[in-house]
Amino acid sequence: MSAPTVTPERPRIDTPTAVTALACVLMAVALWLVFFWVPNDAIDGFRQRIFYLHVPIAMTTYLLFVWGAINAARLLWTGDLSLDLKSYVPMHLGTVFGTLTLITGSIWAHTSWGVWWYWGSEELNSFLIIFLFYCAYFMLRFSIEPGERRARYSAVYALLGVGLIPVSVAAVHLAQNEFHPIVFTDRGAQMANGMLFTFLVAFAAVFTLAVSMYLVELRGKRLDERLADLRRRAAGRA
Amino acid sequence: MIPATEVRHVAAAYGLVWVAILAYVIILNAKLGRLERQVDELAGMLEQRMAGDE
Repeated sequence: MSAPTVTPERPRIDTPTAVTALACVLMAVALWLVFFWVPNDAIDGFRQRIFYLHVPIAMTTYLLFVWGAINAARLLWTGDLSLDLKSYVPMHLGTVFGTLTLITGSIWAHTSWGVWWYWGSEELNSFLIIFLFYCAYFMLRFSIEPGERRARYSAVYALLGVGLIPVSVAAVHLAQNEFHPIVFTDRGAQMANGMLFTFLVAFAAVFTLAVSMYLVELRGKRLDERLADLRRRAAGRA
Repeated sequence: MIPATEVRHVAAAYGLVWVAILAYVIILNAKLGRLERQVDELAGMLEQRMAGDE
């Protein structure tokens, strides 16, 4: 007589739940700091508070694209197709965060410069190019049948795009125009300690939110794949 | 005194991000609903097969 199979119990608070809870706490602290603690900027005034949302979202966008490209490189190196979803999900979230970067940036531009977009700014244009490049990733991905070929083509494309990120960051520092503010220079952060602290908390909040979204979406996609596989097997045996 | 236009712009930026997060949760919820229906379908197939075996 065989011993009964014991299914290991899942922990009540798993990693995605814990990270999401941490993101909620950090977001609440960040919002309190932004609206009730940090003083107005001496030059930009109240509207500078968009900085604590716009810049962390933009930095998180870059990090998501880099994370997707790292997993794409790992897929190409090892041939492990399970890395395909780990490359695709950050790309998807990167475009969501990229859209938010463009929207919050446009609102800030409108209140500061009086225009929604300034085509003379290399920083804005280089970010837009990266964003559009990764939008095309989805056109490529969904034009190929699911499988190894799609995973490999998507990985190559994801890896190519990441090369544009240093160009965009360099453009911010090389442009030297009076429009887009440069806060982080070779001499460190050009802001008061209170503002830097608020920015770091806001960045931690947005980054943790992105990590929680990544974990939840990845879990959903894996569940989707497992269910599709189970349905195929069940239909095959019926 | 903070200019009203600046308040509107800051509120719009933060509000839009909240709406985006909310939309993400709604989409995720719809996806969970679809997965739930698939599980029900699988359970139905399993029940049918068990009934056939008996």
